[in-house]
Amino acid sequence: MTVAYLLGAAILLPILAGFLLLFTQGKWKNRTVKCLFLFLVFVITTIFSVKLMLVGDYQFPLWKLTDTLEVLVRMDHLTRLFLGMTVAAWTLGGVFAFEYMKHEQKEDRYFGFYLIVLGVLIALDHAGNLVTLYLFFELMTLTSLPLVLHNLSHEAVMAGLKYLFYSVAGAFAALFGIFYLYSHGAGSMFAEGGYLADISYTGSQGMTLLVLFLMILGFGTKAGMFPMHGWLPTAHPVAPAPASAVLSGIITKSGVLAIIRVVFYTAGADYLRGTWVQYAWMTLTLITVFMGSMMAYKEQVLKKRLAYSTVSQVSYILFGLSLLNVSGIVGALSHFVFHSVVKNCLFLCAGAVIYKTGKTMVKDLKGIGKEMPITMWCFTLVSVTLVGIPPTSGFVSKWYLATGSLETGMTGYAWAGPIILLLSAMLTAGYLLPVSILAFFPGHQYDYEQVQKREPNLLMLVPMGLFTIAAVVFGIFPGTFMNYLQKIAMTVL
Amino acid sequence: MGPNLWVNVEEIAAVILFGVGFTTLLLHKNMIKKIIGLNIMDTAVYLFLAAMGYIDGRVAPILVNGNTDVNLYINPIPSGLVLTGIVVSVSVTALMLSLTIRLYRKYRSLDIDEILIRMQREELKK
Amino acid sequence: MSFVQNFPCFSIVLCMVAGILSTPMKGKQAKNLTLVVVTLVALMSIATLGYVIGTGESYTYMMGRFPAPWGNEIRVGILEALTATVFALVMLFSLLGGMDHVFKDINESKINLYFILVDLLLSSLLAIIYTNDLFTGYVFVEINTIAACGMIMIRESGRSLIAATRYMVMSLIGSGLFLISLAMLYDITGHLLMEDAHEAMIRLTQSGQYEIPLLVIISLLTVGLAIKSGLYPFHSWMPDAYGYSTISSSSILSSLVSKSYIILLIKIFYRVIGFDTIITSKIVNVLFVFGLIGMIMGSVSAIMAKDIYKMIAYSSVAQIGYVYMGIGLATEAGMAAAIFHILTHAITKSLLFLSAKGLNDASGRKRVYPALQGAAFRNPLAGAAFAVGSLSMVGIPMLAGFISKILFATSALGSDPKKVLPTLIVLSVSTILNAVYFLHTVVRIYTPVGEPGEFKGVRIHMAVGAAAALFCLIALNFVLGLYSQPITDLIQQGIQMFA
Repeated sequence: MTVAYLLGAAILLPILAGFLLLFTQGKWKNRTVKCLFLFLVFVITTIFSVKLMLVGDYQFPLWKLTDTLEVLVRMDHLTRLFLGMTVAAWTLGGVFAFEYMKHEQKEDRYFGFYLIVLGVLIALDHAGNLVTLYLFFELMTLTSLPLVLHNLSHEAVMAGLKYLFYSVAGAFAALFGIFYLYSHGAGSMFAEGGYLADISYTGSQGMTLLVLFLMILGFGTKAGMFPMHGWLPTAHPVAPAPASAVLSGIITKSGVLAIIRVVFYTAGADYLRGTWVQYAWMTLTLITVFMGSMMAYKEQVLKKRLAYSTVSQVSYILFGLSLLNVSGIVGALSHFVFHSVVKNCLFLCAGAVIYKTGKTMVKDLKGIGKEMPITMWCFTLVSVTLVGIPPTSGFVSKWYLATGSLETGMTGYAWAGPIILLLSAMLTAGYLLPVSILAFFPGHQYDYEQVQKREPNLLMLVPMGLFTIAAVVFGIFPGTFMNYLQKIAMTVL
Repeated sequence: MGPNLWVNVEEIAAVILFGVGFTTLLLHKNMIKKIIGLNIMDTAVYLFLAAMGYIDGRVAPILVNGNTDVNLYINPIPSGLVLTGIVVSVSVTALMLSLTIRLYRKYRSLDIDEILIRMQREELKK
Repeated sequence: MSFVQNFPCFSIVLCMVAGILSTPMKGKQAKNLTLVVVTLVALMSIATLGYVIGTGESYTYMMGRFPAPWGNEIRVGILEALTATVFALVMLFSLLGGMDHVFKDINESKINLYFILVDLLLSSLLAIIYTNDLFTGYVFVEINTIAACGMIMIRESGRSLIAATRYMVMSLIGSGLFLISLAMLYDITGHLLMEDAHEAMIRLTQSGQYEIPLLVIISLLTVGLAIKSGLYPFHSWMPDAYGYSTISSSSILSSLVSKSYIILLIKIFYRVIGFDTIITSKIVNVLFVFGLIGMIMGSVSAIMAKDIYKMIAYSSVAQIGYVYMGIGLATEAGMAAAIFHILTHAITKSLLFLSAKGLNDASGRKRVYPALQGAAFRNPLAGAAFAVGSLSMVGIPMLAGFISKILFATSALGSDPKKVLPTLIVLSVSTILNAVYFLHTVVRIYTPVGEPGEFKGVRIHMAVGAAAALFCLIALNFVLGLYSQPITDLIQQGIQMFA
């Protein structure tokens, strides 16, 4: 069972390394050695993960909690997609943090938990049934909490508590559903296309729809779906920038992963299509898309603006899923990848600005493009991508989403979807592009004499640059990737 | 109902006594009265048991003149239970009384509400 | 007859003898004797458990010279041996974990008395678990009460005296009701041994005699034991009794004493009255409703509590509610879940109390929340232990609490359809409420005081025994969370042995 060992190594290596760091806090004399050690862990974990992704599909129980409950791991295309994204973002965010964390206290603790969360996320991506999913979902919440309340100011602790309570409340709403499904003979494994329509499932339809809705709502908490989005704009800005990047780029997406597993791998799209759950779900996502953009538009603190933008963008993904058709899913999955890349990059850019200048408000960023041109170029390029101007990647995913919406043929919603997407895209342009404009065209009053070069060093620039390149390349050559997603979408429906 | 009531008069008395003891123990504020209530309650149960074990026209199960005929004596087990019960209730009463003495030494009151008030006042002073 | 069969009797007698021997001893000697005895009892219980699992059937053991149906008996089945094992272990860990404080809190001349009470308590717990005779059950219930009351009041502060008084009054009311119900039960069945009484009961129910008296008996019995175990709304004595006694007492009282009454209740339900009769009497529905209310109200009170002990005590109210809800489901699965939760709760609650004491020590002996801030950094082991206990109570997978929750949920679905939805909803709501107060406290103890990065206060190192106790309890929590299947199988077998 070499796969099992490989998987165990991929999960345990970062966790053990993380604990090692936690227990040796403040005892590392040489910072370079520590960073090299961390980098080594990231690289080895990445290698393990890539090897796992290449093994082919597998599924086996890791541990039996009771005779009926087992911790099951599973590798399929969805796992590959999420696993790849997680490891990539984590490594780049980690490299960025080597430099960034110099100006924060207690970096050993940060890196310790950062590594532990990585291990938990690898396990979460592998979850093969609902209990495993729930287990690692809770662990992820608990282990990522220290990242949020890292600087332990009163504000950070309050934000951390808010994060904790929203997440736990959401997870328990989902747990309710898991209890229900389990006791009626479902949920012990995932299968493409779901199986609640099968005869062997004994739950009543009304109740099942209710618990499915609760599960969507509960897991949707992590994805910042209205009405459980409140934690996101509070928690993201107080965390250190690389942590906000992965929180926004990866951890919110684990909510998406969980919803996909529930809807397409347990319930089945056919079970939900046309029911009130689909309508309610769509309505909530559309509200979130619009509201998130509106709030971002009004927000003046850069990181908060980006957090609201995450609220809105993740709900694009959920909207795509709620359409329950091929184009919708392809749009959702591609938007997952693109948004992860873009939002990681945006937060890293914001982090670089904070690190070098300490500026957090949008209005203070006047002329920053002259001082940190590369950083702001990255920011601008990925912003354009997120807005969705062709031929960038954002355009591709939004195109699929709009097509999917029209394909459903649901009265009202078929048209409401694209309209709201369009409105939100304009708002996105409205809240992101002014930052770039302000940065590069500071206006007449700006004193060009005072400009000083403050570009961060390579440790920060390389991750940002790689994210930017990824965002651009996906936009120009989406073909192969989209075909791959299309294949996934066909299998799960 | 009518004739049964008369036949079971001891049991009925026992249940009434039990109720009296129970309410006294539960509701009375005075510690001593609570203990009295406790004893009434326990005694009621012993009355109940003794009445159940009693068989009309027979004597207590103490062997006299080596006469071992079962039909002479009442059921001995309830009497045994009563004896055990008395031991238990004596020890419980003793414990309650010792608690009461300690509380009285500390707070100079037997009223449980008063004791609570004095304790809170004392804690505030600290 | 195998020698192992004597072990339950030996354990009970050994504890009593140890109690008597401790009377002239000094505190230290009494302590050592008690620790040895508790360890021996744990080992003997394990051996008994192994024996009963091996033979696969229960046995009765005659005490004294008279055979059934007159004499006194103890009965040993898997469930009894299992509970005895867990109880003895938890007792050992609670004593070890709070040993420092026993010597600090109690007047030096009275320390040996404390250990006498502990011995007495253990013997009565074992007797309650093993007894096959109803009246013996009653006598040991009273001994249990007296010993527990002594363990509360021995600290001799005003608070603990009042707490002991309140505890005593409620307990006496409970045992009064229990006693009169036993008298009535004896009255209509004519037997005190459980099997014989059960046979008489079957005859009575078949012939339809004494329906109303039987109902009265069942309700008096249930209410009496429910009061003693602190089911909502009879819980008012709990916060003070657990909050103001020395920490070993709090831990033992909350995790063992109140649970032993529930075990006795379950035993009487199955072995005397017959579970079918109980179900038709509808008393389970009453227990179910009060269990649900207790789950919510206990958690709400815990959220509003201002100090950490009271918070843990109120959480006990909620957990007792869980157990009664499980009984109230009126299925075998529900009963198994309730018993599993008794074990889970015994392990977790003692862990929480002991670690809370460690945190309290690290905070200048203040118990209010603001003082506890950052305590986990000053006492890392207690902090970690408290975190594990809290997460288990909240129901994070891999820990014991999650398994009991999932057992409750699955057993709810096999029960009366009317109970399914309330159970699931209250289970989720109470889980969220648990999360609110437990996780809030965990975050608080992990929040440093003062400037970030700056360390304030003194680091506390726990005594070796206390540290070992915390480690073992944490380990047990993980064992129950990860290897629950053998335990639930055992519980199920044990329940089948009852019937």
